[in-house]
Amino acid sequence: MTDRPSYLPEHLGLLPNAEAAEFLTEGLLAGREDTPSLKLNRVTEPLPYTDRRGELRPVRDLVEDAMAYCRAGGLKATQADAWLAPRLHAALRLTRREAADPGFWNYLALGVAPDYVVWRHLSDAKVAADRFRGQYHKQAFARLWWAAELFRDGSDYSPVVTACANQDIMNTALRMSVINHRPTAQAIVRLVAKGVITTGREVNALMGAVNASAATLMYDVIAPDVERESRPLLDWIAEAEHARQVSRQELPAGPDEEPTPELSVSALVDYFSDLFADAPVRGRDLDLGLEAVEETD
Amino acid sequence: MKVYPYRRLTGNVSWRVDSAQLKTEGEPWEDVESKYVSTVERVVALGPNDDRPDWTQARLRLSANLPAKAVDGGSPWQDVKVVAVLTERATNTRTAVELSPIATDGRELTGELYLHRCDLLDRATLAVHVVATVGGVRGRVIATTDAEWFVDVIETAPSLARELDVKLVGFESGASRLRRFKDSPWVVDTTGRIPAVRVNTDFDGLEGLMGGEGGNGAEKTVRELLLTQMCSEVWTAVFHSAVGDLEIEEDGTPLFPHGWQGEVLRAMLPDIHPDRDPEDALREIHAARTGTSATGWGELQPRIHFAASKRAGVPRTLSTTIRDLERLTQGDDA
Repeated sequence: MTDRPSYLPEHLGLLPNAEAAEFLTEGLLAGREDTPSLKLNRVTEPLPYTDRRGELRPVRDLVEDAMAYCRAGGLKATQADAWLAPRLHAALRLTRREAADPGFWNYLALGVAPDYVVWRHLSDAKVAADRFRGQYHKQAFARLWWAAELFRDGSDYSPVVTACANQDIMNTALRMSVINHRPTAQAIVRLVAKGVITTGREVNALMGAVNASAATLMYDVIAPDVERESRPLLDWIAEAEHARQVSRQELPAGPDEEPTPELSVSALVDYFSDLFADAPVRGRDLDLGLEAVEETD
Repeated sequence: MKVYPYRRLTGNVSWRVDSAQLKTEGEPWEDVESKYVSTVERVVALGPNDDRPDWTQARLRLSANLPAKAVDGGSPWQDVKVVAVLTERATNTRTAVELSPIATDGRELTGELYLHRCDLLDRATLAVHVVATVGGVRGRVIATTDAEWFVDVIETAPSLARELDVKLVGFESGASRLRRFKDSPWVVDTTGRIPAVRVNTDFDGLEGLMGGEGGNGAEKTVRELLLTQMCSEVWTAVFHSAVGDLEIEEDGTPLFPHGWQGEVLRAMLPDIHPDRDPEDALREIHAARTGTSATGWGELQPRIHFAASKRAGVPRTLSTTIRDLERLTQGDDA
């Protein structure tokens, strides 16, 4: 199995897309080879910042603990997502501008923790290349960070845990731009938390309906969010200099931003519930048909 | 054409960005010179330069005009609102702001949209929607204006078209991935934020030719032709790169990508399939590429080549070159 890189420098770096390609070997994607860490670190670029949040060691430790957490608890690798997403977000303390650089995520996947990517995403003896270098909703670490960023409610990461515990939310909802409206994202998580939607087909049906409805209905108007302030985020980033390592037991606290207005979230929960009741869910009608047959038997 | 289950507003909703202001940490707001706000190109350029090294927050002043029927007493729309929405896909940023009427008839509106530098990577889109209560349903989008603006936080010139990122580098001495191309005059890289061309300075004489301003007639002619050729290759490369990385919906419909990939496809598809609308053309191209269409991928290549060379201005440059060459030879003869 792919192991931890033999060389780990002190600071994280950027591995541009063009450079990352040459490390995506067949052997790595099959989980058989390690990454050539010395060679890799020769082509990385330095981070645009030099503060302590750029230290490599805390990130490496966190990822190892995520694997240990699953192994110790007898959990599946997919269950690492809900544990790691909020903690990774709180450990990295990035702005969205910084997080939009794919080179950062390429470096985490290839330079810091290729063993994690293989452990988490190996299926049918192969890891899809976009788990190492890919779009934000596919790449092994970018998807966790963006899930945490888009589903957190201000400083509260608990909606992130709910969202990441459902692989269908991660696979379907995360790539849709409707969730860039905070109250919409919160309403969807609440429907998952309440158990209104659980299966993959239900998530797909709901997301399809929410997306289609957004073409004629402006959620920003029926469920307004508070005005965005960047100060709490920038303060939180500055605190990284003195912050302790993120807790392995407790959920960390995110930037002290204003929470999503409750009225807006509950308005959308009601609206989405109605949409979902009318949405065609693949298999739902079939189930009804089967029940009907059973009754006549 | 889309069908809506309610009455939509027809007629012109005009709007624009009137001005912009920037704020640096701990400093007061400062006006952005009007030369950075182009109503022709519909671009606000807020990239860093000597006037404004580093800003943290920007404020855009917007104004909009509604047609009279939008606010007539007898209209089917109540509670008409004009909402500006700024989005950037790369950062998943979405900011909406409602404009307020400045006169009693409610047709003229203004508003201010705030954006934060830390939320934006390079280019955000600004669109305006008219929203109303229709038949008791709140928040219906009754019109979306055609005109989008871009807010560019990297460029300093408010221009819709983006300059190619062209850099001169020595391939033999440069990054290892370039070394294997050491005998190539240039390479096109489509993996970055915007497509880039790397010109090989280790290729004898190329730097002088490409970088030169003057030169004799023949040199100028060759340079022009070379640049055009390079552009054509860029268009071909970006097209293949964009079409090779499409997101596919569950039902098999390919989606237009965001960013330059989407722009490239929208620009080139009308030349590849002139008789189809863009969505249809994209589906056809995707089918051809994946081998599920009657038209093969191979048969499409001349069309892609045609679209790329048209974008790059190859036909125009080539005909000029041929004329120039004729003139040069005539000069030699004399």
